[in-house]
Amino acid sequence: MLSSAGVRASLALAPLAANKGRVAVSVFAIALGVALGYAVQLINQSAAAEFAQALRVLAGDADVVVHGPRAGIPEALYPRIAALPEVAVASPVIEVQARLPGQREALKLLGVDVFRAARLQPDIARAEGGEPLDFLREDRLFLSRAAAAWLGLTAGDELALAAGEGRLALRVAGILSASALRERVAVMDIAAVQSALRTGPVVTRIELRLREGADPAALSAALERVLPPGVFAEDPGQSVERNARLTRAYRVNLAVLALVALFTGALFVFSTQMLSVARRRVEIALLRALGVARGGILRQLLAEAALIGALGAAGGMALGHLAAAAFLQRYGADLGAGTFAGLPVTPHVDPVAVLVFALLGVAAAVGGAYAAARTAVRAQPARALRAGDEHEALRSLEAAWPGAACLAAGALLAFVPAIDGLPIAGYLSITLLLIGTLALMPRLARVAFALAPQRRAASWRLALEQLRFAPGRTGMSLAAIVASVSLMASMAIMVASFRHSLQDWLDTMLPAQLYVRGGEGAFLADEALRSQWTVPGVARIEFLRSEQILLDVAHPPVTLLARDLDAARIDRSLALVGESRLPAPGAPPPAWVSEAMVDLYGMRAGDVVALALRGRVAAFTVAGVWRDYARQHGAVVIERREYARLTGEERAGNASIWLEPGADPDAVAAQVRSRMPAHAEVELVRTERIRELTLGIFDRTFAVTYALEAVAVLIGLFSLSASFAGLALARRCEFGMLRHVGMTRRQIGAMLALEGFAVSALGLAAGLGLGGVLAVVLVHVVNRQSFHWSMEIHTPWPTLAAFALVMLPLASFAAWAGARRAAGYDAVRAVKESW
Amino acid sequence: MKHRGAIGRRAFLALGAFTALAGQARGARAEPSYPVVRAGERLRFPRDHGAHPAFRNEWWYITGWLSGGRGQELGFQVTFFRNRPGIGEASASRFAPSQLLFAHAALCDATLGRLEHDQRSARAGFGLAQASREDTEVRIEDWSLARGEAGYTAKIPAREFTLSLQFAPQQPLLAQGEEGYSRKGPLPEQASHYYSWPQLRASGSVTQGARARSVSGVAWLDHEWSSEPLAREAQGWDWAGINGADGSALMAFRIRGRDARRFWAGGSLREAGGRVRVLEPGEVDFRPLRWWRSPRTGTAYPVAMAIEVPGRELTLAPLMDDQELDARASTGTLYWEGAVRAAGAGAPYGKGYLELTGYAQRMKL
Amino acid sequence: MLSIRSVSKSFPGPRARTLLRDISLALEPGEFVAVVGESGIGKSTLLNLIAGLESPDSGAIELCGEKLGALGDDEATLLRRRHIGFVFQAFHLLPYLSVEKNVALPLVLNGVASAAIGPRVREMLGAVNLGDRATSLPAELSGGEMQRVAIARALVHRPSLVLADEPTGNLDPEAAAQVLALLRERIKADRAAGILVTHSRSAARTADRILVLSERGLSPAPAA
Repeated sequence: MLSSAGVRASLALAPLAANKGRVAVSVFAIALGVALGYAVQLINQSAAAEFAQALRVLAGDADVVVHGPRAGIPEALYPRIAALPEVAVASPVIEVQARLPGQREALKLLGVDVFRAARLQPDIARAEGGEPLDFLREDRLFLSRAAAAWLGLTAGDELALAAGEGRLALRVAGILSASALRERVAVMDIAAVQSALRTGPVVTRIELRLREGADPAALSAALERVLPPGVFAEDPGQSVERNARLTRAYRVNLAVLALVALFTGALFVFSTQMLSVARRRVEIALLRALGVARGGILRQLLAEAALIGALGAAGGMALGHLAAAAFLQRYGADLGAGTFAGLPVTPHVDPVAVLVFALLGVAAAVGGAYAAARTAVRAQPARALRAGDEHEALRSLEAAWPGAACLAAGALLAFVPAIDGLPIAGYLSITLLLIGTLALMPRLARVAFALAPQRRAASWRLALEQLRFAPGRTGMSLAAIVASVSLMASMAIMVASFRHSLQDWLDTMLPAQLYVRGGEGAFLADEALRSQWTVPGVARIEFLRSEQILLDVAHPPVTLLARDLDAARIDRSLALVGESRLPAPGAPPPAWVSEAMVDLYGMRAGDVVALALRGRVAAFTVAGVWRDYARQHGAVVIERREYARLTGEERAGNASIWLEPGADPDAVAAQVRSRMPAHAEVELVRTERIRELTLGIFDRTFAVTYALEAVAVLIGLFSLSASFAGLALARRCEFGMLRHVGMTRRQIGAMLALEGFAVSALGLAAGLGLGGVLAVVLVHVVNRQSFHWSMEIHTPWPTLAAFALVMLPLASFAAWAGARRAAGYDAVRAVKESW
Repeated sequence: MKHRGAIGRRAFLALGAFTALAGQARGARAEPSYPVVRAGERLRFPRDHGAHPAFRNEWWYITGWLSGGRGQELGFQVTFFRNRPGIGEASASRFAPSQLLFAHAALCDATLGRLEHDQRSARAGFGLAQASREDTEVRIEDWSLARGEAGYTAKIPAREFTLSLQFAPQQPLLAQGEEGYSRKGPLPEQASHYYSWPQLRASGSVTQGARARSVSGVAWLDHEWSSEPLAREAQGWDWAGINGADGSALMAFRIRGRDARRFWAGGSLREAGGRVRVLEPGEVDFRPLRWWRSPRTGTAYPVAMAIEVPGRELTLAPLMDDQELDARASTGTLYWEGAVRAAGAGAPYGKGYLELTGYAQRMKL
Repeated sequence: MLSIRSVSKSFPGPRARTLLRDISLALEPGEFVAVVGESGIGKSTLLNLIAGLESPDSGAIELCGEKLGALGDDEATLLRRRHIGFVFQAFHLLPYLSVEKNVALPLVLNGVASAAIGPRVREMLGAVNLGDRATSLPAELSGGEMQRVAIARALVHRPSLVLADEPTGNLDPEAAAQVLALLRERIKADRAAGILVTHSRSAARTADRILVLSERGLSPAPAA
């Protein structure tokens, strides 16, 4: 039956049905872009949610948490706090990192008073297996589900733990319910932990629940009177926030990477839509000729695009979800950065994010279609008969000022400081530099192709003429490849700079040949133990005491390093940035702060700062600033004798050993170990091993970003191929004519290959150049502001050259392959087409 | 109440799974040496009002009836338990759980139709939870029971109510058994140190929600300590402590064997004039008169009982039927403990408390 | 110069049919013929066969002494490049090349020395009266002008044969007349042979003779 509606429906749907392949490509393009962005978003979201959830569960229903330096707070505070009238429940917790034989990673062990912990978090007492008394026994512990799975243990199994100077032979009493503790953690009695691990009379934190109706402000005031320096009270929300900050910079970096990928995906969508509309010029002109209004055609094209976009977005979301799940499974919530070890993570679906990415997918499709369709529809049917019409539309792309303005703004933004601890201006700068470069691509193409040498061969001439004639078109074809290549190059330069600087830093920071690390609370440098270090082959030993101190509840704790060092030759011990100037006689003793202390706390050389050492406040003079890649939240180095003088604490947990020339590090290590008390769980590591490990972790961390970049580059290649296919389709009459006037197939192929090569070369050059600029912003702005450490730019020329050498033929091939298929269209028929 | 089985039992009720029974069942563990309760050890006061931390279990148990002005009657129960689990005794940590304290409080308000109850538990230490060895002074955070010049003071700010009560003795205390040596089974070491203080005059205030009222009434205190767990053969026990309106006091218990037969029994009857008769196992008889089945747990309890002792035949009727305590979720126990009226020969005799345990199942050890 | 002997061509497919049946034709240099016939009768196919873009099912085509049937695609292309000029209904000028470069295209393809290209292109542009539009882009020209450029391109390399397929199909009558006159003039001037395929009788009349293509073959038109 023939009806008006039926014909309309056919007009709308027939093109889709008739072009299943084209529709599939468009859907795939959108799906890929959406999948990338969505996957990274999901990973971020899940990581953050999981992390926050873990902390919430850990803190239970605590309203306030009292905590202090890593070394703990005096347990004598506990009854004083518990007795405050505003406090309903006070639950003391001691937390240690316990080592397990045969495991590199430590197990977080929580010592709790189950009577109190269960009042804050009733689920903690509901374990599978075990009996409540097991929560008190010195030889029993409970494992979280995650820890049990990690260790492959179940109720009744035995395990040995070591921490500090102590060892524990334990039996697993039961498995805690997942609602109690999500992360990889073990729980046992607080007294058992204190006594077996000889922690001394300290707890790590005290979790509080307010009495009903109590005034939190009154509690704060009361706590302020009770708490010694260096001990803080905060609500767990603050702690979640502070801990989220731990990983925020890393997550934001990933998110930006994902956005660049999504942007590349959108460019890909745009080129496939251009291709699609190009293929339908005839149809569009016919409809126009039949009297269908311009708006009608536009609406139809946009509706089609929206449908394609919706399909692509749905597919992309499914794909993204799978990818995210696989990544989380493989690498954990932080993509291998090691921040949330042991947290089992499944993707957290956020409806808002789903909606946003669905809309982004549809918007990319509709936007691409609109830009493409507008040029097709705007053409007068009669004008469309004249070849070359669409070039007119692209001429507007050649204006230089928008791109120049973007570049200028991007350059200025690189000098704006961090906003709320995030390098937002840096990212904006990168975005504007990218957009500016893309906008200037036509201009760049014009200049570049004008400079290209003239050759006699017809294919060469035609290729060049065609490129010179339509730089706007070239610019569009290149957008995705330039974006992805610049991303790749900038990341490569940033990573190389980082790695290079890290190596230099390791050289400075690890001058000794052997390093000794005691476990949590283990001490190596008791004067009484001096004799154990008099080993043949040892030339010199320096000790280091490390502890976490909290300077400001809004920031994660900073590391205090009390080291044996020569203050006059500090540059031998620390990777100084600038000079070290020792304080004048009579001024407080020197402290050297890491760059993060400058960024986060505003410390400057010459400042006098107050540090809480074991509950006592002491003043120090900032003598210099050093670079620290190990602790992005800040570190302060002071002289160990100064620390001992102020606190009376002589012991230290770490030592560096310099060897006599010719001494065998392994032999010395064995000797030192043999002189340690049998129970001492200390780790002796050769410097090379530390370097190896550090660089290994570094490489693993960035491995995932490489994968993301590779996908972006792949999309860039697809996009280039698609846009060349689109152009070739638009030019098929031209190829038909050229066949008629006597160009061989090979000549046409050569022409297309030359065009592909020239365009790819330009795209690569522009992408690499832009990548270099972006790398400078990444290194000096984004990284500095995110992680608070500086690095020297180091360009990995061989890597970039190899990348270019691989990419050039790949991109040329992608372009040629795209065009080739379109040009394969029957030349004889092509010339009969009038549009 | 209490047979040594009952001792263990009763402690178990509040201690829940924290009882030392669990530890003993395991067998293999090295037990600390707990003192044995022996006949002939005379009670000395005020020292014996205080805690006896060497013994495994100990409790201070106050039950009674209160009325607030317009005649509405309330039953209440306040208990502090001390337990020595034999864990961490050599520990260097001040957190060592060598002495555990538990407290339980319930309020029976017939207008609510259900019990209101709450509990506290803690390891002793840091001055936050402690039981004095000098005199009755036991405390878990803000819950406390202490003896002073004028008698006992209990302060119990619970979740749904707050009790602030004083208990003034009207009569001398009553050493149970042979001068405080109370047998709970056929073996001589199956025994506890046990004294009661019947006919305490209770006064003070009860706050429910925003409503506080002055109350007065009569209460009964038990203080008992022992190291012996519930006998293996025991299934549960019934206990009653009744303050006679005439000034007399009756305590009777029986321990039911697994075969539902009586395993042990005992008690005492002090006449108003002060003459005490210690009841031998054969002289105490409990007879269920009416069973009430809990709609929540399906457990049937003989909430009305006849108790026969030489010279007294009493029938006990509950203030309300539903005085079941379901603490399975927290301590793993399910029992009935309620305010009862006692009548003899058709006339009111007095008021007291009845405890019925082991009707749901024998507590899992 | 061109000889077609008993050529037949059919197309496979669901509506398989024989388009051309037993076609014979011979053309001498300087000869300009028009082929008319109904739409879809195979006029364009005939041109494609002659240009070596398609091959006949049977029969033989000989161009400038070369048997097309014996040539591969590249050889046929080279033959076409050297000996044939095309004029299309849709002009098919390269939009990105200026008028002169469009005209120069066959010379470039034939490897003519750069020095020789300029004068020849200028000569041809002058001949089609577009001497002043050498550097214009096709988009700046009218339809008639574009077709005149196409004629210049078709003849710039002095082909032996010019194939014009509905060259006036997209033009108004005035421009059409001008283009046809020019086409004839240039063919004659260069002593090329020309085949004009058209469905317009008036266009056909500019040729020396008119052949009618029908299902029965190619036959001289009855005198009007």
